[in-house]
Amino acid sequence: MTELATAVFAADTGAHLIDAPRSRRFELFRRGFDEAAFLRGLADQGLRWIARSDPRFPARLLTIHDPPIGLFVRGVASLAMVDGPTVAIVGARACSAYGGEVAAQLARTLTQAGAVVISGLARGIDAQAHRGALEAGPTVAVLGCGIDRDYPRAHATLAAEIAATGLIVSEYAPGVEPAPWRFPARNRIVAGLADATVVVEARERSGALITADLALDEGREVLAVPGEITSQLSKGTNHLLRLGAVPVTCVGDVLAVLGLDPNCLDPDFERHGAGNAALEPRLERVRVAVADGPVGADELARRIGLSAGDVAAALAELELLGMVVQADGVFREGLRRG
Amino acid sequence: MLARTVTHALVGLEPRRVEVEARLERAQPAFAIVGLADRACQEAKERVRSGISASELEFPIRRITVNLAPASLRKEGSGFDLPIALAILAASDQLPPGALDGVAAFGELALDGRVRPVPGALVAAEGVRRGHLRQLVCASESAAEVALAGVEPIAVLHLADAVACLCGLRDPPEWPEPVSNAPPFVPDLAEVRGQERGRRALELAAAGGHNLLLAGPPGTGKTMLARRLPGILPRLDDDRALEVTRIHSVSGVLAPAGGLVRIPPFRAPHHSASTAAIVGGGGRGPQPGEASLAHCGVLFLDELPEFARPVLESLRQPLEDGVVVVARVLGRAVFPARFQLVATMNLCPCGARGDPAARCACSPQRVQRYRERLSRALLDRFDLALTVPRPRGDELAAPPGEPSSVVADRVRGARARLRDASPELTPAASDLLTRAVERLPLSGRGRARVARVACTVAALAGSESVEPEHLAEALSYRPPKELVE
Repeated sequence: MTELATAVFAADTGAHLIDAPRSRRFELFRRGFDEAAFLRGLADQGLRWIARSDPRFPARLLTIHDPPIGLFVRGVASLAMVDGPTVAIVGARACSAYGGEVAAQLARTLTQAGAVVISGLARGIDAQAHRGALEAGPTVAVLGCGIDRDYPRAHATLAAEIAATGLIVSEYAPGVEPAPWRFPARNRIVAGLADATVVVEARERSGALITADLALDEGREVLAVPGEITSQLSKGTNHLLRLGAVPVTCVGDVLAVLGLDPNCLDPDFERHGAGNAALEPRLERVRVAVADGPVGADELARRIGLSAGDVAAALAELELLGMVVQADGVFREGLRRG
Repeated sequence: MLARTVTHALVGLEPRRVEVEARLERAQPAFAIVGLADRACQEAKERVRSGISASELEFPIRRITVNLAPASLRKEGSGFDLPIALAILAASDQLPPGALDGVAAFGELALDGRVRPVPGALVAAEGVRRGHLRQLVCASESAAEVALAGVEPIAVLHLADAVACLCGLRDPPEWPEPVSNAPPFVPDLAEVRGQERGRRALELAAAGGHNLLLAGPPGTGKTMLARRLPGILPRLDDDRALEVTRIHSVSGVLAPAGGLVRIPPFRAPHHSASTAAIVGGGGRGPQPGEASLAHCGVLFLDELPEFARPVLESLRQPLEDGVVVVARVLGRAVFPARFQLVATMNLCPCGARGDPAARCACSPQRVQRYRERLSRALLDRFDLALTVPRPRGDELAAPPGEPSSVVADRVRGARARLRDASPELTPAASDLLTRAVERLPLSGRGRARVARVACTVAALAGSESVEPEHLAEALSYRPPKELVE
């Protein structure tokens, strides 16, 4: 078993290795490496190691052209959770409030529908996707640094929440520092674990586009959320759409790609969700007005002739139903399901 | 030759009785003040000497010793000038025996003998009343304050007047009746165009005494709204007015010859303010800070995240208990500070976030750092929080909104209803609240806060009970997710 030795050697030498090198230095290292002791140390930290040759290694990841030599795993779930339908949700770190909201809603609904959301624990879209998914079930985060590190530090709590129900994986042994060149390598795992990759917001030269490219290379489906054509944050996603990515106009678009039935959403969710049949006329009026486009509460009140208090009450109820979302004082229609 | 007068020193907001003893001896002429007198108090020597001479009275060429008892209490300020002068005059037989019985004095002397007002006359006068004295000799500017405490002022313009009154040569001069506080200028709500949601939140804040946080890009009218809050708050009742007046008297911010402070105070300290300036303190004896000056009124913190973190955290005690306890070497003081907190903030450090017409260049880390300056504990204290988006052009061209007087009437009605019988949650409203707690990041304190605001909404609507729509409206004023996560 030289795979673990290779991963640890890579960490020690700061190299990126996907196969055991044929060097004298590695040979010396391998002979002196006490695998059992290292595995015990990992277990003490609550970490696991799944080698590439291990039957538990995700089959989907094995098919990419440069699969990692193994994965370090943190968290309670089994790695088998990524064998079902999986979707990567990635995007800009400096995302807009709207983009973050879309990522969270997509992730939540997709998780409810039985997909596993995979992302990179970065700021912005990644974190929002993880948060949204956590509201409905477990999620998987792929790190671009040592498995024992929480990077960025601000997401330590989020990482702990993910590990409490889902998984955090990394091809890097404990102690590896985050470095800019490791993130594209991380992205290949994100794309490799997922059936489909959804890009929510991306600038012209964004790491999310690297993930999308890698997904395309492996023949996986790429979807993009359309954005304003004048916004820098949609340059990348609109570029993907021009190249033929599937546009995401509702959750159903993603579910269709994943081969999931849009009607499989759990019944409790349905109660909050599309049940607009039973919506009171007062709420329906406000919902229709919000559906016209993003709007502030004051303008909404003027447009439909309700008092500020009544509009506030209606908006709060619609928010609870998930039909309206608020960001920075602007109200938008919630993501449609079908 | 020994004579005594009584005056009062201020410790925080409390008067302490101080006896001023003057003794003249036939010895080398000298003038000494003993009894832990501070610098301003030591300088009284020069003012008293000059003031007595200027009043065409005789400054005794004797060895003069003035003792301020109790000797262990530190004496500060210039209010001791007048009692010292009167004690010396009495000791040198320039006042008839018994002239100072039942009389206290409080005031500063000018070099030409005029009597100047000193902050804290109201508190000193309360000490006089508690000490069962009849009259207080004071500057005519302070007379209105003294009268508020129920003590008869001998309001004098000059030391010579004081002597004449005490000798019975003339009656104390008339002092101006306290003008029933000419209301300070408070801008009117009618000037706010559009901003219905902001106006609504302001009305709720006034009706329920809720703390209010307004967020949004610059130029959306957050500050404009906040400054109009005092105009729709009810006037203070007698007890509260007296408490507020006492604090303002000690701090010397009371309008001269004004009566009780009836309009709820509005204090807007700049964000460079120190902790001591906000909660009280100071190098000398403890002085009330802005939080106490805003007692029974509004403490307005514009650009909340720009305040130093320790300053903001120090506000948590008064927000919780309604008092500030300041401990200093020179003493410990408890100042009332039950204020309503109103604050504004931008959504990011550059201010462009939330404004469709501007591009925000802040990195996520910068935005996060900016928002992290506010602790969750502090954010939890805001019952009402809302994001004010930039108004559109046609909104600004709208006709003037409702004037403050109309809103103030509704607020008064709602307050009366809340005082008599606070509305209770109906089962349907309870259900909605439970559902909201499941779906939203709402802490236990958050839940209670929403229920409280819902009561205010119901009271404003004139409803006996809290219906689901009242509760839903209250939910819409919870702090935005971006801030609490």
